[in-house]
Order: sequence, then structure tokens, then C-alpha cells
Amino acid sequence: MKENLPEDFDSLFVKKRSGLKIFALIFCISLLIIAGLYAYLSIGAVRDRMQLAKTQAEGSVVDPSLIGLMKDKAWVESRVKMATYDSVGLSIDLEQHIIQLELKGVVVMKSNIKEYSTSGFFKRMDGNVYFSMFGTPLTIKSYVSTIDRNRFKVIQAPKTKTAAEIKAEEDAPYVAAKPVPKDSLPKENVFWTVKLDRAIDLNIQGIDSISESQSKYKLGKGFEFERDLNNILKSFHHILKFEKPTYTPEILISIPENDAKAILRALPSNASVTIRI
Amino acid sequence: MVGGILFFGSMVLFAIPALQESTIVLPAMTEIPASAEESGSNKESLETDITKLQAKLDKLTPTDAYIVINTSDNHFFLYKGKQLIRDGRCSTGKNEKLVSEKGDNIFYTPQGVRKVQRKQPNPVWAKPNWAFIEEGLPIPPPGHASRFEAGTLGAYKLELGNGYMIHGTIYKRFIGQSVTHGCIRMLDDDLEAVYNTLAVGSKVYIY
Repeated sequence: MKENLPEDFDSLFVKKRSGLKIFALIFCISLLIIAGLYAYLSIGAVRDRMQLAKTQAEGSVVDPSLIGLMKDKAWVESRVKMATYDSVGLSIDLEQHIIQLELKGVVVMKSNIKEYSTSGFFKRMDGNVYFSMFGTPLTIKSYVSTIDRNRFKVIQAPKTKTAAEIKAEEDAPYVAAKPVPKDSLPKENVFWTVKLDRAIDLNIQGIDSISESQSKYKLGKGFEFERDLNNILKSFHHILKFEKPTYTPEILISIPENDAKAILRALPSNASVTIRI
Repeated sequence: MVGGILFFGSMVLFAIPALQESTIVLPAMTEIPASAEESGSNKESLETDITKLQAKLDKLTPTDAYIVINTSDNHFFLYKGKQLIRDGRCSTGKNEKLVSEKGDNIFYTPQGVRKVQRKQPNPVWAKPNWAFIEEGLPIPPPGHASRFEAGTLGAYKLELGNGYMIHGTIYKRFIGQSVTHGCIRMLDDDLEAVYNTLAVGSKVYIY
């Protein structure tokens, strides 16, 4: 029978520790490789998108000294074009920090943009790419929002006068107790994203203060956090297959909550959008 | 190992998305500057184009009185000579579909541009079929005495077409809420100001 000497115990721990160290090292190196791959493929996706935009943009050489004036022209021209449509359109001037709803060329609602951010893609655009993207109104392809766009309720009509009276009596305490609000809109988290036809995402968040949006983000609440997390998960899905993730340049705008709500509900399904960056 | 996980997490969550959006790693889409002479003529022509387009756009806003209705906020804005002269709360459509054997009715305020088609003081409300369906009553024939109700629409009405109107109300406590069958209800003072400012043909912008 072999005796368990204290030296044997020590050597066992040393072996286990060194095994753990090797595992930790391999694990860390793997993470580093994945992170590197993620960074490489993500940046590659942006570069590809830029290349595609450049290929799609046609036209003569744009003089960089005239770019400001050309942006002014594109902005007004696009709004004039939008005025020919019968439905409400959205115009966003990031230079002036203004977002407005327009109906047949008349500004029916104007709101100040509290904060905005744009993808690096937009900062690297040349004149031709800018005009191919923003020279004419864009069209909304789809909406995702935290509140209902159409608030239709379906009510069954009462069959008799007595049924109508009973319903009225049931509703009476609620109606009487209902206070007359200064503002008829309840407090809600208002975030919405629209996909535009030239592969741009427009994100609008309703906030009444910037600190409110920051605290929501920090707490992992709200649309912005959820969206970032979804984007990362989607990207990982591609990266695990050694594919470049899809890249869509984004514009994120923060405006007062009630205005975000009113704009969302005013815009028709395929509304036109004019943007000036 | 914990350090590695933290490093990886911060890379994925913050560093890489920030890098992706930064301009440092992205190439510029280069432009070739035009000659000074060419730039000058282009500048003049651009400035002329902008002035013309802006004038065209400005002409689209009425110079006479018009009103804007916000159905989400239940608020109205009255303009005259492009200046806001009054604003206040109103009530708009309740966005409801009333289902019945006699046909469905949708109660909402349609968005778009309308015109004031007719103005009338002391209006009498000619109750449409839905008013009876909603109360579980039999629908009387057109022109029947039970269809006419005085006082319900307040002191004035401005007809916008297709049965939609701007009018007053006896249910003043609901002003500011989406409760109507599609019409725009206002408080007495606001209604009087709107009635006196808008003419037949004035534009009503609803969003």
C-alpha cells in the first residue's frame, strides 16, 4: 500500500493549477481572436457599404467648395418635390437641429432636435454619394415602434336601447372620474425606427431630457439599448459563419416625447422623408 | 480569465461599434476640386436656383388664414398672414370601429388638407345613422324630426366636407381628448375666434 506523502499532494495541485492556467490562456487567446475577427469583418462591412454607395452614385465631379450650396439646393428641391404628394411628409435638417412635418409644402409641425448622432458613413460621403442619397425624398419602407401607430378599437354596437343604457351606466364612473388632462397623451416610452428605401435606418427617440435617455441606456432599458444588443447578436451570427455582418448606416434623433408620438402617428405607411446632414 | 472576459465584453459592446462608426478607419470618398473660374459660375447658378426653389416653396403656405389640427395631441393652431394668432386644445376622432348588423362605422379624423366649405351660426345637428346605432335605437327615415338636435354643436359650425365639421360641444370636459366621431370640437371662445378668422375656402391642415 502506497503512502500519501505531503509532497504528492503539492505536486497534484501544481499540475491542476498549470492546467487551469493553460485553459485560461487558450480561452483568452480565443476571445482575442474572435474580437479581432469581429472588428475586421465589421469594419469591412462598412467599407463595402461605402463602396456600394459610391458605385451607385453617378454624376460629374463635385467641387468641394460648393458642397454647402449644393446641400442647400438638394434640401429645398427635395421639399418642393415632397410638396407635390398628398400625404404628410417628414423633413429633417440636422444642420439647423429641426424636424418638421410638412403637408403640401406647409410646415404643420416643427420641433427642435435635442440631440442627434449619425454613422461615420455619412461623414465620409462625397458630393455624388450625398446627392444620390438625399437629393430626392426618401421613402419609408417599414416601421418598428414601442407604441401603436394606429390606435383603432373595435366596439360592438348595442342591440337595444336598454343595452346602450347599461353600457353607458358602466362607463359613467370611469368617465366622471377621468380628469381633464392638460395634455391628453399618457406618459410612455416612445422610440421608433424606420427603414428608408436607400438602406438607411432612421431612429427617433422621444425624450424630455438628455439625462433621461442616458439613464435609460445605462439601466439597459429602452429601445436604443435593445437595438444595440440586437445588432451585436445579429453581427455575431454572421461572424460565427465567417461572413461580413450587414451594415446599415443610421441616424438617431432625440426629440420631445409628445412630438415623437405625434410625428409617428401622422406619417402614412410609405411617407416621404427629406434629410439634410 | 475574468479580465479576458471583461476585455472581450468591452470590445464587443463598445470599442468595435465605436470603431465601426468612427471616421478614422474609413476611407474618404475623394473629390477633385474644380477650377476657380468654373466654381464661380457654378456658385452663381446654384444661388439663383436656391432662391427660385425657396420662393416656390414659400408660395405654398397660404397668406390668408388657415388652421392646423394635431390629432395626436388634440391641439389646434390658427394662422393668419403666416403668423400664429391662436392655439388651444380641441377634440378629434376617437379611432374606433363600431360594428353592427346595420353596417360598420369608423370614427376618426382624416388626415390631409381640407377646405372650409360652409360656415353657419346656431347650427342644428342632423343626426346621422351611427348616432342611432350607437344608442341601440331604430334608424328613423331621412328628414324625421328625431334626427334634428339644436344646441349640440355649439354656437357655430364650419363644414369641411364628407360630414366632417369644426364645431362646439356640450361635453366641454372632454376637450383635449380623442373622443369625437371624426369632427373637431372646440371650446366656445376658440370656436368663435376660428369662425371669425377662417373664411369659406380657408385651408384646414389635419395631421
